[in-house]
Amino acid sequence: MWDTIIINPMVNTLLWIYSVLGQNFGLSIIVFTILIRLLTYPLTASQLKSTQAMQEMQKSKKWLDMQKKYKDDKEKLAQEQMKLYQEMGVNPFGSCLPTIIQFPIIIGLYQGIIRALAVTPVQLLDLSRHVYPFIDAAVLIPLNNRFLWMDLALPEKDFGLAIAGIGIPVLAIFVVITTYLQSKLMTPPSTGGDQGANMSKAMNMYMPLFMGYLAYTFSSGLALYFVTSNLVGVLQYALMGRLDWRNLIPKRGSAAG
Amino acid sequence: MQRGKIASPSKEHTMNRKRILLILTVLILGSLLSACSRGIAASSWPGLTVDGDTAYLAYGNQVHAVDISNGRPRWLFPQEVDNGLSFYNDPQLTEDGQLVIGAYNHVLFSLNPDTGQSNWQFAGARNRYIASPLTGDGAIYAPNADKFLYAVDLAGNLIWRVETDGEGWAKPVTDPSCDCIYMPSLDHKIYAFDAANGGLLWESGDLGGSVVGTPAYSEGILYVGSFNSEMLAIDSQDGSVIWRTPVEGWVWSGPQLVDGMLYFGDLNGNFYKMDASNGDEVWRITSAEMDGPITGSPLVQDGSIYIPTESGTLFAYDTEATPLWSQTVGGKLHTSPVAAGDAILVAPIDADALLVALTNEGAIRWSYTTAEQ
Repeated sequence: MWDTIIINPMVNTLLWIYSVLGQNFGLSIIVFTILIRLLTYPLTASQLKSTQAMQEMQKSKKWLDMQKKYKDDKEKLAQEQMKLYQEMGVNPFGSCLPTIIQFPIIIGLYQGIIRALAVTPVQLLDLSRHVYPFIDAAVLIPLNNRFLWMDLALPEKDFGLAIAGIGIPVLAIFVVITTYLQSKLMTPPSTGGDQGANMSKAMNMYMPLFMGYLAYTFSSGLALYFVTSNLVGVLQYALMGRLDWRNLIPKRGSAAG
Repeated sequence: MQRGKIASPSKEHTMNRKRILLILTVLILGSLLSACSRGIAASSWPGLTVDGDTAYLAYGNQVHAVDISNGRPRWLFPQEVDNGLSFYNDPQLTEDGQLVIGAYNHVLFSLNPDTGQSNWQFAGARNRYIASPLTGDGAIYAPNADKFLYAVDLAGNLIWRVETDGEGWAKPVTDPSCDCIYMPSLDHKIYAFDAANGGLLWESGDLGGSVVGTPAYSEGILYVGSFNSEMLAIDSQDGSVIWRTPVEGWVWSGPQLVDGMLYFGDLNGNFYKMDASNGDEVWRITSAEMDGPITGSPLVQDGSIYIPTESGTLFAYDTEATPLWSQTVGGKLHTSPVAAGDAILVAPIDADALLVALTNEGAIRWSYTTAEQ
């Protein structure tokens, strides 16, 4: 089921793009990522809209008054908050559900890249069974897994880019930077008090590091997806006119950093 | 400052919920990605070689030496499982009695076949050894997935290395009458190298698909199956195609050449007998009669053909395609069966046994399992 709905379409789309783009798997991943971001744009837009609505609601007088009024009655406060959510048409999970929905796509893409590159006999045998008839896999295999300095089938820790004899995880660094940029540029400054600000700060700090770790450890094809996806995400946000470069500048005295 | 640190209970509750959600999400994503990473599942199928009264089975983290008379283990290499090591190709014996095998950790090992002790290691390659090495004339010729063919001497010293355009997944062959090595490649070509110095003698044109099976060689002609669903005869003098015959599916393994006839299967589960002189199909056992894809080369001996299928069955036919018997050993049979005295050894994957000995009537004589199983 997972193979039929997620993996096989991804593998075959990657192979098809590869065949029409001069047999460059790196370009194939980049184009495929852009396609995925376009297809999931409604989810991204919905996530941003929900986040913004939540931020605006938390700045409203009604919300602030409610916090003061029921600060000693947890249950009542929760009830009033739910009422306000309904009144203002805000879904409290609206900002995280689209992100969770995208996880199967990330996992599917990772599996799709590994399956398409087929670097071992079992993987190649497996690939031979999942290629759609309109793709001439015999001609395409083996895929050219070289892109810039990368071997897309291997994790960066296995091939690395040495500068002056020192191995530098360039791709992982790119992933960390672009993930940080995206989260900073796309997350409005928190107004939720110190807890919210700390939460936001922790996410902005640890998520890029976690993604960088994944990029360093797993095949670099996935890291290429992360970098492309982050950059396209920032571009999409910019096109929506919501990019605020001031978010990158630490605010003196602001807990949101 | 102090005031800022006190959150309302509901907000704290929401934050805790968000934090748990974040941690869960990260853990789920991490574990799912980890589950897909290499090294979790077997990357290939066992390699199997028999010499004298010992079978050498290379599968996963260890190489096993097994007594073929009773299926009892003689030694394991390494003795303790090392998760950094994995072996998936046929170990090869050198003329001076070393057992040589390449590993997926980029290292070529020489072992003492009597004890399993390591003699030396060659660590000059940068990728997996998927193909078995070729041994002979005081050298070991080991193709690697880094696209190089490495020639090392019997002490593990590099003699030469030569780069091709594709990964080498098939054991090379040599012609005893010439000092040359013929190596198939995933890049759809066959290469001929001077065994003395690695000089390129010729490379074939694009054969239409990758070649991952060891070629059969006889009287100046190489016979190879390709992913372009063809069997081809290649002139060993210049790499030109003498004939090519289409078949139904991808040909994974090399053909067996016996008495001027080629025997091989395809991934669609068909099995063929072909005239090596002109590529004419003599007969075909269709996938309706077999029970799964065929990746291993058949064993042909004493007028019988033993064919392994992915469905875990070993089929026996005579050379006129008359069925003799079949025995399902379980799991998947990707590895070629190997003759061991009057027995036939098969090495299934995803089965209880690592190695099964069958009589030439198809009865199971013994099964070898490890202590962990």
